[in-house]
Amino acid sequence: MGAFDIVLMIVILAGAAWLLYRSLWKKKGHCPGCDGGGCGDK
Amino acid sequence: MTEQTPHTANDAVSSAAPRPLVVAVAGNPNVGKSTLINAIAGTRLQVGNWPGVTVEKKEALFEHNGRKIRLVDLPGTYSLSPYTQEEIIARDYLVKLRPDLIVNVVDATNLERNLYLTVQLMELGIPVVMALNIYDEAEAKGYRFNLHGIETMLGVGVVPTSATRRSGLTELLDKVLETAAQPADHAPRILNYGDDVETAVALLGDTLRREHPALFALYPERWLLLRLMEGDERLRQEINLAQDALPEEIFHHLRRGHGEDLEALMADARYSQAAGLAREVLFKKEERRVEMTERIDRVVLNRFLGIPIFLAAMWLVFKLTFDLSKPFGDWINDMAGGPFKHWTTVLLGLVGAPDWTVSLATEGVISGVGFVLVFVPVIFMMMFFITFLEGSGYMARAAFVMDRAMHAMGLHGKSFIPLLLGFGCNVPGIYATRTLENPRDKVLTALLIPLMSCGARLPVYVLFVGAFFPNNPGTVIWSLYVLGIALAIVMGVFFKRTLFRGEAPMFIMELPPYRMPSFTSLCLHTWEKGKHFLIKAGTYILAVSIFVWFLLNLPWGVEHKKDSYLGQAGQVMAPVLSPLGFGTWQAASSLITGVIAKEIVVGTMGEIYAPKKGEQKKPEASFGEDLQEIAVSFGKAVKESASNVVSTFGVSSLAADEKEDRGPLKATIQQTFTPLSAYAFMVFVLLYMPCVVVAIAMRQEFGSWKWFGVAFAYQSALAWGMAMIVYQGGQLLGWGV
Repeated sequence: MGAFDIVLMIVILAGAAWLLYRSLWKKKGHCPGCDGGGCGDK
Repeated sequence: MTEQTPHTANDAVSSAAPRPLVVAVAGNPNVGKSTLINAIAGTRLQVGNWPGVTVEKKEALFEHNGRKIRLVDLPGTYSLSPYTQEEIIARDYLVKLRPDLIVNVVDATNLERNLYLTVQLMELGIPVVMALNIYDEAEAKGYRFNLHGIETMLGVGVVPTSATRRSGLTELLDKVLETAAQPADHAPRILNYGDDVETAVALLGDTLRREHPALFALYPERWLLLRLMEGDERLRQEINLAQDALPEEIFHHLRRGHGEDLEALMADARYSQAAGLAREVLFKKEERRVEMTERIDRVVLNRFLGIPIFLAAMWLVFKLTFDLSKPFGDWINDMAGGPFKHWTTVLLGLVGAPDWTVSLATEGVISGVGFVLVFVPVIFMMMFFITFLEGSGYMARAAFVMDRAMHAMGLHGKSFIPLLLGFGCNVPGIYATRTLENPRDKVLTALLIPLMSCGARLPVYVLFVGAFFPNNPGTVIWSLYVLGIALAIVMGVFFKRTLFRGEAPMFIMELPPYRMPSFTSLCLHTWEKGKHFLIKAGTYILAVSIFVWFLLNLPWGVEHKKDSYLGQAGQVMAPVLSPLGFGTWQAASSLITGVIAKEIVVGTMGEIYAPKKGEQKKPEASFGEDLQEIAVSFGKAVKESASNVVSTFGVSSLAADEKEDRGPLKATIQQTFTPLSAYAFMVFVLLYMPCVVVAIAMRQEFGSWKWFGVAFAYQSALAWGMAMIVYQGGQLLGWGV
């Protein structure tokens, strides 16, 4: 495993972590109603 | 409510232009208010929520005869008393933001009951135009109205409308403009509530004018006086008025003559006005035929037949859902496992991607996300049927027949609505507990919602029933839903006797007439309910699939998945699951990742059991051949789905043959589970801890992790106990084969 593999792996993991943080914690998941703005203050 | 004025909110007009006419649309629930607004506003409708709550808010800005009109849809309420969230929103808007005019949508088939709200709206002194809606149905029933009589007696404009047929809408808007042009000439009449009440109101008015004159600039005068006389605690606190600031001698005479409860006295006075008016202006045929709704309700709401009919309806929903959607699920599975995987591998090879990224894409992302997407047709089909039952009016009956069971749990029928929402997704169910009045009901309902089997659990059931119960999949899935409901009742009774002592308040439940929902509205609502599963697949299920792949492949170069980090974690947990019949590291690992979202259980299984590249035996095909195969197999899925509908209703000779070709995941779990342990596993998935998003929702609604902690603890114990009873009990009975 070379340096490129390690960098690529870190980028992918960081991307996944960011996606997870954004969708689970920052946006607090998705539910019907989120689009309506009712969950905007949640 | 947040600071906002009716005249500036979201205005798209320049400050130089005349401000739009602000029209609030008020009415009882189920009077066709939304249909009316949709028919008037069409695509100009903006759907949002009232600030801080999950009650939907619709607004539209449009022009009629050269005048800009802003329509604001208020929540459906029976009165303006400050008891429910909907009532508070409607009342705050009308009293504090004072629209130019109110369109009061009234159900013409139910005039008397609707007039109660009309009488309260008139107390605000804002011009009212009444949309006498569902007028066509009322006429068909033989009802005749004296429209001029209503206008004269109430001092409001009246326009017959039929929102579903889009009739009377132009006339309604014309009447709105006509009324708004001369508001002083169209003030609602002041109804006389009797000498005693009117004397008390006048005396109270004199006192307040003398001592608190500023109040009349803030609130409509008659409304303020009547509410204070009724003892409106919320209003009194809002205006900072001490109880003893109101001269008791004014009310003394009223209390002596009419009893202590002045709120009940006023309700009586308003009902009398409503009933009197209805008698004067509505003429019904003498012989009242039994309505279709009534005839159906005699059976559906029967105290002995009600619950069996509800269970039978749910069974039919699951059977149809499974039969109709299965071919499409199989099609997605074949596409994801075949051409999609193949061409991803080819594409990554072309760009010279490292080998491990090919494995990550095919065995991680495509196996993980793909296995969840396979179940999207099932989820959408289920949402479609549930939407149909809601739109037809049957779900309200289901809540009614379940009311007795709800009372056994110390809850009333209104709590059934958040619980029903929980069948789609537990998260909106948790947020919907905001509509319940007291905190005890909110918490108790929220604790029971995770026992309602949400759509995310369906993929697990579908996978396992497909592998172990192919002859009666609908019945097995139905049994899991019924088990969830039954355990919710048991746990409700338990909580009622331990953590939440006390009786549930009484609640009047609205039973709308049966209606055939339109196909377009069914599709729109189904999409609204189901789309977040697609969003989940593209966001955190994708992210978790990537993590799972790494956890299955680290430490780097690990030979067997069992020795990976995830495999090791699964091995630690597996002994705990052994008495339940699925003490394998694969099952344990899937359950660990399923904590994020329940459908990830199958996604993880897809990754764990994904065949290595060398094991795939799919013959190479050209891109064109693959495209052709995709189209042909989709056509086959449509045909098979149609055949399954026929077989659902018992014409089995026309049904398609059972597909023998099972996916590799099904084949593998058939080797590691038995039908009994598979059922125990499904019971465990149904009951074990709520997913992370539910945990976050609970934390937000109740301000701490305490109630999620309670849910986590009791559900973990319940899941383990029930799965153990199923597996060990089944073995004792000799079913463990």
